[in-house]
Amino acid sequence: MEDLKRRKRLRHSLIALFTVIIFILPFIITNNYYRSVLVIIGIYTTVVVGLCLLMGYAGQISLGHAGFYGLGAYVSGVLTSTYDVSPWIAILLGAVGTGLVAYIIGIPIFRLQGHYLALATLGLGLIIHVVMMEEVDITGGPSGLTKSIPYLSIGRFELNTDFKYYFLVWIVALAAIILANNVVHSRIGRALRSVHGSEFAAQSLGVDTGKYKLQVFTLSAIYASVAGSLYAHYITFISPSPFGLMTSIQFLVMAVVGGLSSIWGPIFGVTAITLLTEGLKYIVPKMIPQAGGEYEIVVYGVILVIIMIFLPEGITSGIVNLYEGWRHRKELADVTSGDK
Amino acid sequence: MSLLEISNLTKSFGGILAVNEVSFSVNNGEIIAVIGPNGAGKTTLFNLMTGIYQPTGGQVLFNGNNIIGMSAHRIAGLGIARTFQNLQIFNNMTVLENVMVGRHTKSKTGLLGAIFPISRVQREEREIVEKAMEKLTLVGLANKAMVGADNLPYGRQKMLEISRAIALEPELLLLDEPAAGLNSTETRKLVKIIYKLRDQGVTIILVEHDMETVMEIADRLVVLNFGNKLAEGTPVEIQNNQEVIAAYLGEEDLVC
Repeated sequence: MEDLKRRKRLRHSLIALFTVIIFILPFIITNNYYRSVLVIIGIYTTVVVGLCLLMGYAGQISLGHAGFYGLGAYVSGVLTSTYDVSPWIAILLGAVGTGLVAYIIGIPIFRLQGHYLALATLGLGLIIHVVMMEEVDITGGPSGLTKSIPYLSIGRFELNTDFKYYFLVWIVALAAIILANNVVHSRIGRALRSVHGSEFAAQSLGVDTGKYKLQVFTLSAIYASVAGSLYAHYITFISPSPFGLMTSIQFLVMAVVGGLSSIWGPIFGVTAITLLTEGLKYIVPKMIPQAGGEYEIVVYGVILVIIMIFLPEGITSGIVNLYEGWRHRKELADVTSGDK
Repeated sequence: MSLLEISNLTKSFGGILAVNEVSFSVNNGEIIAVIGPNGAGKTTLFNLMTGIYQPTGGQVLFNGNNIIGMSAHRIAGLGIARTFQNLQIFNNMTVLENVMVGRHTKSKTGLLGAIFPISRVQREEREIVEKAMEKLTLVGLANKAMVGADNLPYGRQKMLEISRAIALEPELLLLDEPAAGLNSTETRKLVKIIYKLRDQGVTIILVEHDMETVMEIADRLVVLNFGNKLAEGTPVEIQNNQEVIAAYLGEEDLVC
């Protein structure tokens, strides 16, 4: 199958090209604010890659991923600041713990389908958020952790600047993309997509649909947890507010805007929405001085509607489709002009 | 011992008996046709045999094991594959990938292997592609392997469903109206494929309305009417069965 090999080579060269770009970027962009935006994009990309596996490939919606993201952040934050646990071990514990929570909660949740599933994950996210707010002794409540969270360090080398942290975050994000890409092009990935295509047919071919949905839900929760840990060690302070429903919706919008069925979707989606959010933070107060933070949700809503109408497969597939449509028209034009 | 033994199988939806106390058995290597007017319970019978519905009563023995109560994916794992009356193609995948899903029960890479594809996983992946191509060749779709499955015309999608089902290397293959919507050339091709599968040792049960094809290829027929088994026998016996004729043509014909 030459064709299969060619596609695989193409995928690998795309990933290689992207890696090169990622490693050159921080040398070109020297402004610290822009670098910090790139770090945040890397962290969000890791979450959204997992969410895309769940939504685009398993066809399941989660409105609770900010909860898993927050769990990772809080496990890392609390263990390292209060209990002096090594940050790397804390990240690992956060990932394992969050994975376990997702798996155990997932068993009853995945008996549900469609809107019920979305609501159940929404509830899960809210519960996690409430625990962060109310368990004051552990989490510090609404005002957040009182002790500061240490920077991550490799040996004696402390990752205490945006420039240094950028590389760690993007190595993790790249690993997330590559591993997710492996899953997509595997027996499991096909099984998942088949569930999306026709659940009856998938079952009739021996695919245990529930098992794989649950596994991918767990995997995506682990992705979110690791990203949350990285966030905690980057900001070095956490409070419940970045882990609420709004963040879950933001992840969802990023996933949908980028496109669910491509492994490159998350990067485009996250970048587009993050740049937009940062832009709005700058522009909106100038235009409407009395506007609160809630305008974001209005903008997300509008974007979601526009994307759903004009680019239902997301920016990534949308651009490919637009290009192919243009090429097709051009070919048609060439053929017809040849007739004359 | 017969490969499949259905006894007193019953399914009611609310008060309606879709399948009522149906019993018959299928021997290894046979081609059995289930026929009957629309709404006779043919597809329900398939859904009961593949675990999509759970019966109200009765049992289905496959190789001596009762498969009632098993989930659909476990039954597939035992070696029963099927196609669907309303096509259930994976439109989001290529033709080849559709058939590769058919190799699911014959391969075992788990999530961890999928995330970190060591050489064993890659070897299995190559094997899956080879087997899938083999099945596509059998139905004449090898040259369409990389095409999106939703781009195939209807007749070829039906062939794709068959090749996907046989990728499972089933002992028993259930074909739900395989000839419906096919033109005569395609139907001839279908018959050839069915014979080829039978020669490979696959036992086949098909639901079909195309009587010419059914009478030609079936070793035995089971006739259903309003959920009840009306008759069972060779094509010649069924063609001469008064009850069957009445069910298909209406009571008046019996009177005159």
